Amino acid sequence: MPSTMSQINDPKIAFAYLRPACVLLTREPTVTNVETLSGQLKEINDATLQQLQEYVLFPLRFVLKVPGPKKDKLVQAVAEAMSHVLENTCVHSWDTLRDLLSELCLCICSPTDPGKPTDSSEELKLAVLRCLDALLHAAYGDIVYKLFEPIMLPGLGAAVSLLLALGENEKSREIQAAALKCLQVLTLQCDCTQEHIVPSSEERCSVGSTMASFLPGITVAVSRIISGDMRQGHTVTIKAMKVWSQTVGLVMEDNQLKACESLKAPPADLGRIAQLLVLRTPVWVKTTAGKLSVLLKKIISCTTAHQHWKVRLEMVELADHLLARCSLSLGECVGLLLEALVGAINDEDPRVRQRCEVALREVSQRNQSSSSHQTFTDVLSENLHSLATSLPRLMRTSNDQMKLFVLNVFLGYLKLLGPLVSVILNSAAHLERISKALMQVLELDVMDVRIVEERSNTVTIETSPASAHIQRKHFLNFTVERIFSVLMEICRTLGYYGNIYLLTDHFLNLYDQSSAYRKQAAMVLNEIVRGAAGIAVGAQGQGEVQRQSATQEDLKTAVMSIMEEYTSLNNWHLITVSEETDRDRQDQQLLSPSRLISISGSHGSSTVANSLQVIPPSFASPPPSSSTIHRLNSNIWQLCIQLEGIACFAQALGHDFRPLLMTSLYCVLEKAGEETLLVSQAALSSMLDICKACGYPSLMELINENSDYLLNDISLNLQRLSQHPQAPRVLTVMLTHSDCSLLPLVRDIVQDVLMALDLSYDHTAALFCSVLHALMKALARWFPSSFSRTSKSTSSKQATTDKEVFNINQFLLDYQKQKELAQGIGIEEDINTEDIEVPPRTEGEDDENLGGPDVKEELPLHLSITKDVMERCIHLLSDPSLRVRLKVLDVLELCVYVLSDKENELLPMAHRCWPALLQRLTADDPLAVLRAFRVLCTLGETCGDFLRRRVSKEVLPKLSTSLAQQAPISAKAGPIYTRTLAYKLQLAVLEGLGSLCQRLELGEADLDAVSEACLPYLSCRQPIRLQEACLSVFRHLIQVDPDAFWFTLNELHCSSAYIPPHPDLQPVLLNGMGKPRDEYSDNVLKLLREEFGPFTDVVNQPGS
Amino acid sequence: MARPPPSPVYTLRGAGGPLNTLHFSCHGGGTPLLFSGSGKGAIHIWNLNSRRAERILEGHSDSSVIWVNTLQSSDTFISQGRDMRVCLWDLSEGRSELVESVWTGSVGFCQGSVLETSPPNYLLAYAGEQTEEIKIMELPSKTPVCTLLPEAKLGMVMCIKLWQPDSVPRPLLLAGYEDGSLLLWDVTQRSVLSQVKAHTEPIMCLTFDTKRLMGISGSSEKKLSSWMLDGQNNLQLLDCMMLVNPGVSQLCIRDDGKLLASAGWDQRVRVFGWKKLRPLAVLQYHTDMVLSVAFSDHQDFRQRLLAAGSKDQRISLWSIYNDGAGHS
Repeated sequence: MPSTMSQINDPKIAFAYLRPACVLLTREPTVTNVETLSGQLKEINDATLQQLQEYVLFPLRFVLKVPGPKKDKLVQAVAEAMSHVLENTCVHSWDTLRDLLSELCLCICSPTDPGKPTDSSEELKLAVLRCLDALLHAAYGDIVYKLFEPIMLPGLGAAVSLLLALGENEKSREIQAAALKCLQVLTLQCDCTQEHIVPSSEERCSVGSTMASFLPGITVAVSRIISGDMRQGHTVTIKAMKVWSQTVGLVMEDNQLKACESLKAPPADLGRIAQLLVLRTPVWVKTTAGKLSVLLKKIISCTTAHQHWKVRLEMVELADHLLARCSLSLGECVGLLLEALVGAINDEDPRVRQRCEVALREVSQRNQSSSSHQTFTDVLSENLHSLATSLPRLMRTSNDQMKLFVLNVFLGYLKLLGPLVSVILNSAAHLERISKALMQVLELDVMDVRIVEERSNTVTIETSPASAHIQRKHFLNFTVERIFSVLMEICRTLGYYGNIYLLTDHFLNLYDQSSAYRKQAAMVLNEIVRGAAGIAVGAQGQGEVQRQSATQEDLKTAVMSIMEEYTSLNNWHLITVSEETDRDRQDQQLLSPSRLISISGSHGSSTVANSLQVIPPSFASPPPSSSTIHRLNSNIWQLCIQLEGIACFAQALGHDFRPLLMTSLYCVLEKAGEETLLVSQAALSSMLDICKACGYPSLMELINENSDYLLNDISLNLQRLSQHPQAPRVLTVMLTHSDCSLLPLVRDIVQDVLMALDLSYDHTAALFCSVLHALMKALARWFPSSFSRTSKSTSSKQATTDKEVFNINQFLLDYQKQKELAQGIGIEEDINTEDIEVPPRTEGEDDENLGGPDVKEELPLHLSITKDVMERCIHLLSDPSLRVRLKVLDVLELCVYVLSDKENELLPMAHRCWPALLQRLTADDPLAVLRAFRVLCTLGETCGDFLRRRVSKEVLPKLSTSLAQQAPISAKAGPIYTRTLAYKLQLAVLEGLGSLCQRLELGEADLDAVSEACLPYLSCRQPIRLQEACLSVFRHLIQVDPDAFWFTLNELHCSSAYIPPHPDLQPVLLNGMGKPRDEYSDNVLKLLREEFGPFTDVVNQPGS
Repeated sequence: MARPPPSPVYTLRGAGGPLNTLHFSCHGGGTPLLFSGSGKGAIHIWNLNSRRAERILEGHSDSSVIWVNTLQSSDTFISQGRDMRVCLWDLSEGRSELVESVWTGSVGFCQGSVLETSPPNYLLAYAGEQTEEIKIMELPSKTPVCTLLPEAKLGMVMCIKLWQPDSVPRPLLLAGYEDGSLLLWDVTQRSVLSQVKAHTEPIMCLTFDTKRLMGISGSSEKKLSSWMLDGQNNLQLLDCMMLVNPGVSQLCIRDDGKLLASAGWDQRVRVFGWKKLRPLAVLQYHTDMVLSVAFSDHQDFRQRLLAAGSKDQRISLWSIYNDGAGHS
């Protein structure tokens, strides 16, 4: 547009300027002429143009009026020119308005039916629509209402139907949108940025009553557009929704209908037109509302779940608009509209949510202020009720998106009702309905077998307490995580607004009533409590003040009653391990009669009478079937949910949960020691949550600071072990997670443990072994032994001797010295060197001297405990059960490790252990031999001297024979052999033998025996790991006596010829020389190269 | 089928020494408390809600605490130790101040006895410096009231009980001696009203039901012997109750006069029906001699507890026979 500076201001000049073009156009209606005129028009100033409006429009209209077919291009150009004029001027004359309207419509409608568009070009249609738009915007306030006089009905009708047809059927989105916009303008409800006439209520009323005639047409067609092609783009849909809501809002406006009742009847002189006229009588209103509700349902269903947020936003606008204006007249639709509005309150998009919140707040305010408050609440609660009724069905049948929407609506109602929720829940029917719906919807899928099979091993518990991951729950009715979170929010909102006592009572009832509902009820309860504490509730803002908030005391009472239920006998001690899959059969047998019976601190307060309970026999020994798996799975989930619940309660109560740890922590720890992976993980994460909620920095602090509570229950339960077999497990978990500050308290309990063990060796040994094992493991962790240091020092010493070997001169000197020594020369000098060589021993002696020879200093706590434990091990080593023996051997090994620093304590104990240990080594199940051998090696590491003779006399012969016997078998065996026990035994013996020999500094004869027994394993026919283990034996042996084993190896195979450096020396002759490659060569050569490599080179060099 | 043996409701650990004496204070609206005196000289105040030691008082320079008590009328707490002192503490409003201490001069194990005559005044009876001497003092004014010395040689005073009968306005005192005699003293007249030989061994403990005027005493023997006062204030021996194992450290009758508990050297607490002296239960938990027993003074009968303190450094709390119906 040219700037105002150059525009023509003077009407006269303008007239003169435009005249030629106008005249020319009238004479020759061509595109060029139109364009010339429109070009000139742009140079005219707006006010001037206003004065010349009629004049300028004339030629243009003339072009349109010329009979006969016209070119599209021409009409388009005319329309564009007219648009320019109309956009910048006003239309004062009714005639102009009316005529222009019909003329423009004629341009694009088919000659036969004024309500249908021609198939002219899209550009033309668009231009005409734009012109229409401009025309209607330009119409002056006093004339525009004439459009809505009854007499205009036919013309207006034609225009409306034309626009509707364009909006619905055109392919171009632009045209669709433009047509819909024209419709908006036509009903005086344009929402563009230009200035608009604001109708008075009376005027609005007349517009409304005229438009009532077109209401059916508009609403039907527009709802077709809305629900039409999803690909049409959101702009068209949004426009259409605007048109729909504005039209309905205009025609059905409550205020108008109230005012119109008194309005005069239509003028009688209308003739046929009177038939078109609609009288908005109450009857009409009612039937119309009915029809509209059908359309509305269709619109809501296809827009609430629309992908584009603007469409959903528009839906909110629509609902808000109609609820604000027509809530009375549209009676039937109010429920629908509310539902739509409520459904959007949890929209993903914050803009929609915000708008929706505003709308809902207005709705509720409007209704609270007006007398219809009651009805509004009624509508809401009725909706809620019916939704709750249909919820299970909807959750089964509809798709995920629909489910999500339905749940959002449900949640929305709750939020909208706000504090009234508690009133509604007082109605038994409502509560029943809602709770049943939740129970059905939240049903878990318990088919997964893996959950039952996954086992926790102690390693994971120890190493990764922080990374306990939560297994996702699988539900029968849905899979999307978001649905679950909405459901949980529903529960929280119930808890937030509802009466906590009522709710906990009701759901605890459900929990008790049927095992089918138990898990769901627990989930609901957990969230209700969280909600009641105001955690993760998105409903703040409204009703915060009004809600009868549960006090901390109420909450605590509720939590206590729920927790008592959760941790009660029947709900806490559930079988999660099936008898068949259990590796730990003996434990099971031991525990099975009383597996379900337990106490925990929570029962402490109840009296003696119920500490024993009879278990239904069917429960105790389930028949092995697929349903068993389901039941186990279900039990596992129930426990997990209850554990999560305890964490929720801790969150809800915060620091106030600390006193409740008295009863709950023991229960949680009990489950943390559970075999089933899922349960122990859930317990672990529950512990972490409790930690956080109660303000403990870590698990260790949680356990340490509450160890008195835990130990109390453990100690009590240890005394009634047959009823409470979980007590040792709790102690195990405690020990795993805490540090040595626990020791003084633990000492107390260990006495209990040992006493309980002493009282009943035969029944409970297996159970206690695991406790002792955990205890010793903890002690070994808290007080790491220092013997790794000693082993290092010996190896460095070894390295120096290696180097000395090279110096043949030194060797000869040494040899001579030794010889002299043997003859008794120079002993005195030697004593000095010996003193230097053995500093560690003197150090130890010093220690003892400091303590005084007579006063026996008190042992550190951990050592005295270890001694006590080791004492029991001696007895248990000969237990008839193999499992126990194995466990005891493990414990023994740890005991030896912990005691290794105190030789004075260890040796007497080792002495006492020896006979039993020897039995395990020589006359027991291979598995036991295996472990016993490991104990022997550990023992050898620390008290070598002590063991030397015993081993060489009592152990080695036996081991060598068995190794020698097995060698041919393993050499011939196939790959499956590595799975056998015999193989494992061989492997273990070979792996340990070397270090044992070295540690014990065995005599030559013993070493020879060992090497003889091991040699066959150097064969490449042996399984590879046996070969490796055997190589390790030889490496150790070589360190003890390099020369002897160099010789031994070279006797077996020798690749290099040793030529003496001087002809006077005799040539070296070895049995292995010149032998062809055989099964032993590879390993022998490898050993020689690794251990004697440089040495061999040195010897070789002179000869080569 | 017999009921399974009961377990303690809870055990309190960490006293760090043998528990010579226990005393409950649960009658008020505040936190229910249990006081314990240990052989290492520490007095623990246990909060029965959190089941943890709330405070630890050290006032007897590490010598064994043999008696703890509170006054009904005020927040005064009394402790007696083998440092030959009785200490009076102010525990009101969270304080733990040593207000007063009385030198007793007694090296024995005799626990004191207190009688609230007219609050805030009260009488304290304790064993004196001489072997058979019992002293009575009015507190808080610390006025000595009298000294009771039997004419015969009866050995050390082992246990005393000061009480106020309904019939006479004068306080009376029951005392058990080393030779097994039991004496009833009139405090104001300083005269022996009655004397019986209840045991052949030293009397270790006695307790007295002031309503039924009936009492019971234990010694290192295998029996408890019960006795009563007739109208003329004469002590009359009643039946003996034979025990399985010898030795009773302490006896205690519950407020409602229904139960009697004994702390046995055989590591067990025995519970008897007090009316007919019928054995009801044997409570087994401790791993060493039980040194003390006490019943709580909860106003709600159902909350009432029995506490037992043992040489194994633990206190066990039991909830027994408190369903209101007595022994069923």
